[in-house]
Amino acid sequence: MKITINRDSILKPLQVVSGVVEKRQSLPILSNVLLVVEDLKLTLTGTDLEVELTASTSDLQANGSGEITLPARKFMDICKSFPETSSTLDILIEENKAIIRSGKSRFTLTTLPATDFPSSEKVTAAREFIVTQATLKHLIEQTHFCMANQDVRYYLNGLLLEMNPTLIRAVATDGHRLALSEQKCEIKSGDSTQIIIPRKGIMELNRLLDDADTNCTVQVNPNYVRINLGNTIFTSKLIDGRFPDYERVIPKGGKKIVTANRELLRQGLLRASILSNEKYRGVRMNFSPNLLRATVNNPEQEEAIEEIDINYQDEELEIGFNVSYVVEALNSIKSDEVEITLMDPNSSCVITALGDDSSRYVVMPMRL
Amino acid sequence: MRCSHFRWGTGVIAAVGHGCLGGAGYQLALWLGLKWPPRSRFMVLHPLSTRRIIHIDMDAFYASVEIRERPELAARPVVVGGRADGRGVVAAANYIARRFGIHSAMPTATALRLCPRLVVLPPRHGVYAGVSRQLHAIFGRYTPQIEPLALDEAFLDITASERLFGSAEQIARAIKQAIRDELALVASVGVAPNKFLAKLAGDVDKPDGFVVVTEEGVERFLAPLPVSRIWGVGKVAAQGFERLGIRTIGQLRHYPPQLIREHFGNSGEQFLRLAQGLDERPVVSEQEAKSISNETTFTADISNRRVLRDWLHALTEQVAWRLRAQQLKGRTVHLKVRLADFTTLTRSHSLESVTDTTAEIWQVVQTLFEQRLMHPLPAVRLLGVGISNFSPPPPRQGDLFAAVDEGRQRRIDTVLDEMKARFGQGVIRRGKAPPAE
Repeated sequence: MKITINRDSILKPLQVVSGVVEKRQSLPILSNVLLVVEDLKLTLTGTDLEVELTASTSDLQANGSGEITLPARKFMDICKSFPETSSTLDILIEENKAIIRSGKSRFTLTTLPATDFPSSEKVTAAREFIVTQATLKHLIEQTHFCMANQDVRYYLNGLLLEMNPTLIRAVATDGHRLALSEQKCEIKSGDSTQIIIPRKGIMELNRLLDDADTNCTVQVNPNYVRINLGNTIFTSKLIDGRFPDYERVIPKGGKKIVTANRELLRQGLLRASILSNEKYRGVRMNFSPNLLRATVNNPEQEEAIEEIDINYQDEELEIGFNVSYVVEALNSIKSDEVEITLMDPNSSCVITALGDDSSRYVVMPMRL
Repeated sequence: MRCSHFRWGTGVIAAVGHGCLGGAGYQLALWLGLKWPPRSRFMVLHPLSTRRIIHIDMDAFYASVEIRERPELAARPVVVGGRADGRGVVAAANYIARRFGIHSAMPTATALRLCPRLVVLPPRHGVYAGVSRQLHAIFGRYTPQIEPLALDEAFLDITASERLFGSAEQIARAIKQAIRDELALVASVGVAPNKFLAKLAGDVDKPDGFVVVTEEGVERFLAPLPVSRIWGVGKVAAQGFERLGIRTIGQLRHYPPQLIREHFGNSGEQFLRLAQGLDERPVVSEQEAKSISNETTFTADISNRRVLRDWLHALTEQVAWRLRAQQLKGRTVHLKVRLADFTTLTRSHSLESVTDTTAEIWQVVQTLFEQRLMHPLPAVRLLGVGISNFSPPPPRQGDLFAAVDEGRQRRIDTVLDEMKARFGQGVIRRGKAPPAE
């Protein structure tokens, strides 16, 4: 089998799939990328057994068809090393090796048979629905930073996607704070479905999605999710676990409402956080009518005080938080004004954009 | 090290918690067949005389630990202490050495004069602290109510443990045996209804003592003991009793109380109570303390600055060890000096930030001693070192999901914690937990 392909045409799919190929793999074949040529189409696949990425291109000339695996890293570095735009690569696949030629260069790479490559079983789709890439990307960006990382509650090390007939919702929580974001969208299938996509899959997916209004197809069965983005297909195992009942932890009936300029608040807290205890990151937030006083101390007895103008008419309230949790929530809200709903010093608060609660951030206080 | 020539005291400002349990605790107690409410925790409701206190004091601790590792020294007079040429003092002497009249705080040079064959070993505080932790682990099997007085000395309140582990006497014997079997060391043990009596009981039969004082036996036990055994009776008070013709505690009990009060003022009242065998001070475990301090009263007043410094260092070592054992850090260091005429001088200094290191505390103690007292110092009868102003507990991030279940879970935890605090760690486990070893 021989193919002739433009440098840029092969590099793009190669870069997409190599994201999941880790350098140090327990199985040698997992360092390889699967290359399949069929019907004048080149398809590349990389996997870490949890997340699988497939990208393809038809922009090539092929002589015959076939499949083989190549060391991903080296293959990509070689392709990348040729001059941009003008280069054309000839790739010849023989018995146990692949020969890459371009101009006066010639590389011989070892290969492993494609039959050894652990490609995921077909996602016999129990459910299928269509959303725009922009919607998915928005949901992930609004929530992913709240996912747990290597928590013993394994079901928190991922993102909950909930598909309802008219609403798609993403929820992430590490037990200390929670992010929920929802978007209206017509999903043409019956009742709601919940899936938990593992952390790594979410990170890869976020990298692949763009803001375009192009549709993508989401297929879900009890074990896998497959998202078809056109030339790229993302497949991930699902976390087999029950996500906690997040509705329960979103406080309702908080009466003390604070509104503030998002950027002023964010900047003030960021400045104060310079002197926070690196381990605990505590900030004491004292809300009094129209004034927020944020105080931060560290073990060296240093102190930062920020006074921030806010809109608040209720009784004085002091509550401690991990300053990073508050700042990260403020980072992902895009509006100019934010609304913070408080109850008491021991109860969680809710942060949203003013007048728009499509994204909600719940932060549990810290006893300082 | 503690030995019968010296009286170690422990100053602890206590904040004794009085837990209040809800209905769930009652249910659980019923289920376990326990009395409700628990007895001694609610001190207001229950007479103190029902308490069972154990006093444990290791015999010649430092020396015994050293001999344990070098059995060939067992039959020889051994002391642990500073070098003779450096004006060092004896920190601990084994019983063979004591036959020569050697005792703690004696200059090593004097000890060598009394017994030229004496083996003098340098102290290894790290090793003793390690053994001390093992000791505390043994105590912890029977009760969490442990008040450490020194590396090798502690009070245990086992009132609540009797139901689980047998009578106070059985528990005390089990602890003494465990120390012998597991650590190859000998402890003197006293069992009594309060701290004062327990300590006396532990002291009267040293070494290898085991004395139980029951409520009925208090009078018989105290009567023949010299009044100097009473807590707070030092040289001056002893002379006062001498003038009144009172030698034994029994004689004091029969003396007109009014005369004692007139003679000794406030302390007279305390002497009378102790002579009756009454002592209500609770056993205060370290977690409840607001400060940690150790002090020592000398049999003979000391004016040698070098010797005083050595004692201060030993006290600092003890305080710092207790601090670390409780994973506490303190900011304010206290020095207490009582002069021969009973004038008490206290000095304190607050550090920039909290500490638990011996070196840092010692630095402050030294400075307080050298620079904040007038020198030459008159003869000193008591030295004390303390630390307070503990760092606040670390911040605690709340958990979203826990907060929701909190009501229920907190009730369960409260009950479990209360039970463990009273009966020891092993008393109750969750159904899911793996069995204890």
